[in-house]
Formats: sequence, C-alpha cells, structure tokens
Amino acid sequence: MKRVNSTPRPGWQAFAQSVGFNFHTFDGEPYWDESAYYQFSLQQIEQDLEQPTEELHQMALDLVDDIVNNEQMLQQLAIPRQFWDAVRSSWQNQQPHLYGRMDFSYNGTGPAKLLELNYDTPTSLYETGFFQWVWLEDQLMRGELPQGADQFNSLQDKLQQAFSELDLPQPFYFASVTESIEDKGTVDYLMDIALQAGINSRYIQLEQLGDIDGQLVDLEGFPIQGLFKLYPWEFMLQEDFASTIVTSQTQFLEPLWKCLLSNKGILPLLWQKYQGHPNLLPAFFDDGSALQNGWVRKPLLSREGANIELVTSDGKALKQDGPYNDSGYIRQALAPLPQFNGNYALIGSWVVADSAAGICIREDNSLITKDSSRFLPHIILD
Amino acid sequence: MTNTKTFKRSKTARLIMMVPAAGLVLAGCGEKPVEVQVFNSPDECAAYYNPPAECKAAFDDAKALHPQVAPRYASKQECETDFGNGQCETAPVLAANNTVPTEQTQQSQQSSGFFMPMMMGFMAGQMLNRGGMAGAPQQQAAAANRSPVPNQPLYKSRDDRSTFRTATNTAVANQPGSTSIRPSAVQPKPASMARRGGFGAQAAKRNVGSYGG
Repeated sequence: MKRVNSTPRPGWQAFAQSVGFNFHTFDGEPYWDESAYYQFSLQQIEQDLEQPTEELHQMALDLVDDIVNNEQMLQQLAIPRQFWDAVRSSWQNQQPHLYGRMDFSYNGTGPAKLLELNYDTPTSLYETGFFQWVWLEDQLMRGELPQGADQFNSLQDKLQQAFSELDLPQPFYFASVTESIEDKGTVDYLMDIALQAGINSRYIQLEQLGDIDGQLVDLEGFPIQGLFKLYPWEFMLQEDFASTIVTSQTQFLEPLWKCLLSNKGILPLLWQKYQGHPNLLPAFFDDGSALQNGWVRKPLLSREGANIELVTSDGKALKQDGPYNDSGYIRQALAPLPQFNGNYALIGSWVVADSAAGICIREDNSLITKDSSRFLPHIILD
Repeated sequence: MTNTKTFKRSKTARLIMMVPAAGLVLAGCGEKPVEVQVFNSPDECAAYYNPPAECKAAFDDAKALHPQVAPRYASKQECETDFGNGQCETAPVLAANNTVPTEQTQQSQQSSGFFMPMMMGFMAGQMLNRGGMAGAPQQQAAAANRSPVPNQPLYKSRDDRSTFRTATNTAVANQPGSTSIRPSAVQPKPASMARRGGFGAQAAKRNVGSYGG
C-alpha cells in the first residue's frame, strides 16, 4: 500500500458536473482529489480487506440474532422499547438488506482493524462505484496508469445485481433530506442503478412523505410499499411519524434491524462475542471516566466523525465537536490511521447483499475522518 | 486467446438518469395558456359584464367542489396558521368515492374531525358569453375551444390576502377578472388527507451537510 502522486485529468471538474457529481468540492475545498492515488497489491486487497470484510459481515449478522432476543443488549444500544418487537420481527421475517460500509484502519501490513460499521445510511457510494471507476478507465486510456492496473470496485455491478434479485415492491420510492445535495447525489445514483435493473423507481423528498391512517403515502396519496430512505433509523424512531413505521405496509431499505448494526454499541458487543479476533479492537460501553492514553470515545449514534474524542498513545487529546451529543457512548482502543505524506488515510470497505464489493479511501489532515475528508481513488497493481 | 484474468472492478459503470440525454426535455412546456376569470363572489362576477346566471352556475359548481378538494388539516389551529384566524371550518366526512354525501344524509352528517379553509372565491373556467363586454378576437377563439379548466373554488392564504389560490396552492391571480393560466396547473384533485412532515425534524435540528456517513 502506497500513495502515488498523479496528474489530475484536465477539466475533470466540468466532466464531474456533467455526470451529476455536484459535490466534488465542499466550501471551496476539494472533496474528490485525484492529485494522488493509493496503490495496493492484490494480496493486500484479497487477504487483508476483502476476506475480513465478508467474515466481519457474517459475524455482525450472527450478532443481530443474539441482540433481538436480548433485552439487555437492546437497552445498551438505546433502542426505544416500543420498537423492540418491530426490530425483532424485521429480522425474523428476514427483511432483506442492500448495502453497508465498514471502516478500517489499515496500513498495508497486519490485520485491518474495524473502526465502525456504517450499515444504515452509508454515503460516498457514487464516488466509489462510479466516479472512481471512470477515473481508472480514463487514466488507463490516457496511459497515465500502468497497463494492467485494476481496482477493488465491483460496487455498481453488485448493486445492480442486488436490485434485480431483491424482488422489491414497485413502484419503489427513494427518499432523502431535501437540503442535502450530497445525499441527493447518493440517492440519484441508487435510483439510476435500480432503473437499469428494471425497477420502477421514484423520488420523494423525505419531508414530503405522507401518512394516511398509519400508511406511508406519496404526494398523490398512493401507498408507499417500498422505500429506500437515506435517513437514519434512530432519527425516524423519535419523530412524529415513528409509529407509522410499525403500522405502514412498507418494505424499507435498509430494513429496521440495521439500526442495531449502525449503532456504535455494536463494537463492544462484537468484542464480547468474538474477543481477540484479529480484525476487532477492544471496545466497551463507556463508563464516563477519563480516557486513558490510546483510547477513543464515540457516541452510540453519530456520523461523519462528529462528537468523537481520542487520546493518542503519547497523551495528545483530540476532540471533534458535532450535533450528536444526545446518546450514550462507547470507548474503543485507538488504532491510529496510517499517515502517508502527512495525510491520515481511512479505508471504507463496501458490502452489497453479503459480498465485499470494493473500497474507498478518505484522507484528512487529522486522525478523525470527517464529512469534509478528501476522497482519493486507488488501484491494484502487482 | 481467452482472457482468463478476473477483474476486481465492475465490468461497466454507466448511468442512464444522472447523465442528461439530449431530447429529454420537460414535458408540458408546449402547453398553451387559457383564459379564465376569477372572482370573490357571483355578484362581482356579474359586475364584470358576465351573465348573472352563468356567474351563479360557476359559483355553485365551485361551492360543490369545495369540500372535496379543499386542503384538510388535523386541527383548526394548523389550518388557521396557513389561512388566518376565523378562516377555517370543519370538513365533512367524504364517502369512499371522495364525494360529499347527498343532501338527504347531510343532516345526520358527522364532522370528519378535519378542518379546511373557507372558500374565498371561485374560478370560472367556461364562461362563454362575455355579456356586454365582447372579448378580443383571440379571447373569443380561445373560449370557442372550450376551456379545459373546470369551475372551482379559490382560497386566500393568511399572509397574502390578495392572491387567489387553488386548493392545491397554485396562485392564479392577484385581482378579480381575467387571468391566463396553464390548464394542467389548475386541475382539481381530491383533498389530501395525508399528514406530512413527520420525518426530517432531526435533520432540521442538527443541520449538517449529510445524513449519511
């Protein structure tokens, strides 16, 4: 694994705009960054990332089966009691899931360490599955990359296959928060793939979802029988339409049981069940005491690095503020992100259905990866 | 020679919706506007040189449509927030086919528990005879084509008492008289019984760029 400087494609910004990538730059700062790429060997990809991703995914699914029947665990994850039955039945009815992303600390050697699961509303999907893929093909064509370079990125193929196999009710609706162009971009991408898989797909703004007698309805009052929502379950469970989730005849993607896995409380529960697994970091529910050197504190429910606090092994404290200060916390042994040319790199590893489907790399100048962290492409080359 | 190399990347990654294709222009742009008239009352309509009987007929059509198409609210307060104090009334129960029960049943009719704004005016879409005021030739031609716009009730919002709006909140005119509209924008639809806005509050509260991660 190494970081290689690279010449950006001339005019890539205009191309990005033309293919719907409207968030390639954030507040004047680059988000998509092709001034460098990461290079992996095939062995690093297959042994250190792909295989552990599938194994950890199966471990997490096995754990769901424990949690839905364990009141103490449901309490530890702060799942509201009135939804326990619904969470349990969503799992026992085998409501299918589509995708997720796990984040790793990995420097090219030794086991990748699981930092967290983003299993409810993972984003950076379009950047990974489409834009990174096009970058590789373009740069191969221009001779800017060595012939034979490949990429661990079967995301779009696998998503399309999943959409064709899921047997979703149609029309199938996709919803996101109106003001977020990043989330709309992610949903547009999924809808595009669903359309290619032959699904009759429709968009509805999340805030426009309607309720008639406990049934979710679209703008014209027609029942919504299938809904992909790029909006966290933990929010939905505390909002005005929370009870509609239980009464509505609607198949959700991701299904309700995913709220167990997108919760950071899954990390101590994984550690309890599989203590010592090479890809897991020691993790515990937080007791509120001061953080020791080499530990990190994370809210049960948070996103994009918000409200994370850590102390490095040599005692340096680092804290990221954010709007997710209203849940419990866990603490996890710190596996500091590796540094390349002064940049801290995080690896996101995608799962579609139950298969590993590719990786994405985020870089930041801090140990905490955030919404604004840059996205860099990668190649596989032996 | 067969290439047996297995790739770790997608075979293709194409987009069909996110990349705009030539020729995919918004449908409906070619729709011709038609002329309709809007009034506060039948008397006002007649004062604009329209036949009083037609004014009354258009008003009656609109009044009958009013309980079927007016927006519905779960509380009087929510309704008044949009339409102003004292501007809302109880909405009747709609039968399954979305019609108001006939007069025989209306005496024993129960309130639906919903509230709706009062009708504040009406749109006359099919006024053929302009009475003493002959329309301009193109207006007559348009009228001869029979307006595809049904007579319908109009409403006024709390904050903007001069603008006439349809039941679906399309602003159609700022003053009584003739106005030009696209027929597709003013087709009455059954009242929306749906509550909305039940999701998204946490997003508004936290105000971050993305709710994914």
